[in-house]
Order: sequence, then C-alpha cells, then structure tokens
Amino acid sequence: MLRFIGKRLWHGGLTLAALVTLTFFVMRLAPGGPFSRNRKISPEVQANIEAAFHLDEPIWRQFGRFVWGVLRLDLGPSTRHRDYSVNDLIASGLPYSLTIGFWAVVIAAMVGVALGLAGALRRNSATDYLAGTVGVVGIAIPIFVIGPLLQATFALRLNWLPVGGINDGWRSLVLPVIVLALPNIAYISRLTRTSMIETLRENYVRTARAKGIGWHRVLWRHTLTGALLPVIAYLGPATAAIITGSILIETIFAVPGIGRHFVDAALNRDYPLVMGITLLYGGILILFNIATDVIRAILDPRIRNER
Amino acid sequence: MTDSLLSIRDLGVRFRLPQGETMAVDGVSLDVAPGEVLGIVGESGSGKSQILYAMMGLLAANGRASGQVLFQGQNLLALSPDRLDRVRGDALSMIFQDPMTSLNPYMRVGDQLAEGLIVHKGLSKAEARAEAVRMLDRVRIPDAAARARRFPHEFSGGMRQRVMIAMALLAKPRLLLADEPTTALDVTIQAQVLDLMAELARETGTAIILVTHDLGVVARLCDRVVVLYGGRVMEEAPAEVLFDAPAHPYTRGLLAAMPRLETVLTPRLGTIPGTPRSGGSAKGCPFVDRCEVRLAACTTDRPPLRDLTALGPGRRAACYLTGAAP
Repeated sequence: MLRFIGKRLWHGGLTLAALVTLTFFVMRLAPGGPFSRNRKISPEVQANIEAAFHLDEPIWRQFGRFVWGVLRLDLGPSTRHRDYSVNDLIASGLPYSLTIGFWAVVIAAMVGVALGLAGALRRNSATDYLAGTVGVVGIAIPIFVIGPLLQATFALRLNWLPVGGINDGWRSLVLPVIVLALPNIAYISRLTRTSMIETLRENYVRTARAKGIGWHRVLWRHTLTGALLPVIAYLGPATAAIITGSILIETIFAVPGIGRHFVDAALNRDYPLVMGITLLYGGILILFNIATDVIRAILDPRIRNER
Repeated sequence: MTDSLLSIRDLGVRFRLPQGETMAVDGVSLDVAPGEVLGIVGESGSGKSQILYAMMGLLAANGRASGQVLFQGQNLLALSPDRLDRVRGDALSMIFQDPMTSLNPYMRVGDQLAEGLIVHKGLSKAEARAEAVRMLDRVRIPDAAARARRFPHEFSGGMRQRVMIAMALLAKPRLLLADEPTTALDVTIQAQVLDLMAELARETGTAIILVTHDLGVVARLCDRVVVLYGGRVMEEAPAEVLFDAPAHPYTRGLLAAMPRLETVLTPRLGTIPGTPRSGGSAKGCPFVDRCEVRLAACTTDRPPLRDLTALGPGRRAACYLTGAAP
C-alpha cells in the first residue's frame, strides 16, 4: 500500500508540475498584463513597476524565478494587492473557504447518502419522492437564486441568522454551508440511490439473502460497500472543488474566501496570484484524488490487486 | 408421500409486467424424499429456476408465489422473513448458476463461508473459520487455509463454484437446491464439479433438486426427473425409465434433440419445431402448438397430470395420448 501511495504521489507531482507550467505560459499569452490600464501612466513609471516585478526579464527567467519561489514556498508578491504577498492572501482567505467547504461536504455526504439509501430501500414511497424532489430542486435551482431566497427568509424576515459576513461565529456559516451543500446533496442522493438499487440486484446480494443471515447483515456487510464505492469516487474530486471556495457563495454571503481571488486575479492579470491559486487548487485536487483511490483500494480488493 | 422431506402442492409463480401478468410456474406439485436427487429439466423460460427461487423467498420484486411448499412441516411460502431466514442457509440451501458473480467481491472467501455458521449454529468466529477451511479442503481447494483469506477474484470459475458448494453444504442442509450449477463452467470441469456436489451431498444425507437443461447431467446424477414445459409438469419418472421409454411427446422431442454417441454420424440433431409460447395461457396443453401428435381436445382442455401405473411405479404424465394408450 505504501508503494502504491508513493507512486500516486509521484504521478500527482508530475501532473501538478505540468499544470503549473501550462498555466504560467498560457496566462502570459493572454493579451494585456498586470499594469496595462486605460489610465495613462508615463513610460518611465511603467518601466519601473515592471522592473520591480521582474516583468522586464525574458519569460524563461521569469519562469525560473517562479519555480525557485515555489521550491521555497514563496509565491511572490501580488501585483494587484500592493503590500500583500500571495501567501498572505491565501492564508487570509483559505480558512473561510475551508471551513464552509468542509461542513458543506460533511452535510452533503451524510444527508445525500441517507436520502439515497432511504429512496433505494423504499422505492416509490413518500421518502423516495421527497428525496427525488430535493434532488431535482437542488440540481435545477442555481445557487444565486436559492441563496438570496434563504437570506430573505431566514435573515431578513425571521431574523434568525445574519445575511452575510463572518462576524457571527457559527451562525454566519449556516446559510452559506446549506446553499453550498444543497446541489451536492442532490447529486449524492441520486448517485447513492441508483448505485444502491443496482447493487441490490447483484447476484452476490442474492447469495447473501439465500444464506439466511438476516436482512441487516445482508445490507451492512454485503450491500453497502459495493453501493458506496461510486459515491466515494464522486466525493473525492467534489470535496476538492467544494473546499477550495466558490465565488458565487462568497459573493452572495460576503465571505472573504479565496474563491473570489481566483476570478479577480485572472481578470486583473495578477500573474503571481493566479499561479499561487492554481497551484493550491491543483494540489488539493490531486491529493483528494489520491485519497479517494486509497480508500477505494482499501474497500475493493480488485482495485488493490491491479497495482 | 408421508415420508417426503419436501412436498410442493399447486405452486404458482406470477410476475406483474407492464403488459400484464404472466404465469411462470403454473400448478406444479412434486415431492422429494430425504436423500433423493430430483432433476427438473426444461428449456429456458420453462419456469424451472423460478420454482427454486420461490422456495427460497428470492423471487424478483414483481413476482408472487401461490400454493404450498411444505418443507419439514412448514409452509415456506407463509413464513415471515425472520422465520424463513432460520430455514434458508441452514436446513435448505442453494447453489446458483453463475459462480463468477455470486460471491461477494469485497469479502474474504473464508468469512463468507463462516458467516452462515456464526448466524445459524452460533459458532464463534474462530470455530466458524476453522470449519470453513475444513469444508474448503473437502471441496478440494488446494491450500485451503491460505485460500480462505483470499478474495473471490483470485479464484477461477470452477474453484468459485466449488466454494459455492462448500458454502451451501457447510451447514449440512437437508435439501440442496442447485440451479444449473455448471452451466457457466468450462465443459471439462462440469462433470467434476457435479460429481463433487453429489458425493458430498450423499455423505451428509442431503437431498438435491437439480435444475438443468442438460439431460446428460440428469442421466448421471438423478434418481427421479420432472419434465417442465410452460410452467407445468409434463412428465415425471424415475431417471432410468425416462430415457428408455418417455411417455410425453415433449419428453420424446427433448430426448431426440440430445446428442448420442451411437448417432454421431447422423447429419442433424432432432429439433422441436416452433418456440415455447410465453406466459401460461389458461386453455389447453402448453405444448400443443409444437406437438406433432396433438388431438382436438389438446387445444381446448388442459390434460391433467395422471399416474401411469401401467407403465411402472412413480410415473406421471400430462397427455391425453399416454392415458389412452398405455
């Protein structure tokens, strides 16, 4: 198993290196730069600024500088947010995105799996229809509709929770977490239901029933593993995407996370910040994919043996 | 009939389908004595497997069983799921058709075997595991102790079916249901697996119902045979006389379609013209459309299953002709 993880980490590192290299050069192919504005600045000032950020150097030297920085865990200064380094910006935003994302994933996984299982075990029952409705609603209604709706109801009318911001402790987390979890609850419950129904039809589940070991053992020991493997495969990359922040959630609920930095950085051609966040997203995504593979290998001996 | 281990009376299995209800098994009655090997033969869709599934409470969700299945004095069809679980896997067990998909891929083979013993016999984990290894050894899994810790995908098809046999016989059942246990296997190991199953069953005094469409298998292993067509019993006879003197036209057709050593040079095997009609209909003999000797009555009235005492003991057939001309 250790060899397997080591190999995956090595491959992940290569993937990350390729991703970062590609992003670096594609970003510079895009027209404009960090300091090209409509506002006129004198050519001397422009040249001074560019020299300060080493933008006057040939591109391969800039790349070398960037790689050297990454190796020292220094992602350089932001070109947009003066006096802040990219490390500062990530360190200030990431905790909010991580907290909201973590709870959203936990809730989405628990509620989604529970609804999906209930639906599969009692097909066409009230529970199944409820889960189906939640699924359709969660997938069909976009975050920017459901977010303000919940704000209007629970913050403005009932005054139970803050509209946004981060100053009310756990209470300010509730709405963003729910809104972020909702579409994931929907996907996970649909996926769980389908996969559970398929697994219940498997021949080996029939064998287990024929053994007369009781419905609970059939369910827990013989059905759940197979039914949850696809859910786990989905959860890995989904978790990476969720905990790295969502620009929509952060905008609607005024959360200073890193989701909005990414979009802003790309628009402002903030080269160092774009590179920093790309590296972070890529790293987290790869780590979660490896974690997913490890969990699946633990549960499924056939995956384990392929290595 | 009083000494029978299993006695099925008027068993019916219906499936609700979008286009209406279909009858897979229609009024089947049969008995199995302790230690006896009963073969059920018939072509695909004749309902032979559904009889077994109905007994085990394993019918698909849209299926319903009616009638009576008396096993050791209990009507299996009327038992609550809890009570049924005390019978199946213990006194009554089953081997399935496809060994490749019938074992849990996520569980060690030894644990899958031990599980039943822990639940039914109250053995400890260690005792059950030891028993499982002993049983694997008896079905000739080499290096059984080590093999018990492996997963099903590390076994070949023949080995997996031997594991299934071990699993089914582990609790020393009174009756073993085998649903085409060798169809999915390589021809070269079919006989070997079947002989092993029969041999072990004989040792424990276990009766077998062997469902198959392979008449060669029946000739090899069975004491008695029931021929099924369209969900109904067409003929029942001791195995040796069935092959020599089939009473029902359908049985004769089946035997003509079987390759024999002495006719190996004939250009073609016999076939039964037509296809089985799907879904039992209420009127007439189910075989009438394909029968070469049908009478006018066959299309309107269903021939009852009658004892053919004139032909010998234990013989029954559902055909007007056999009743008329013994």
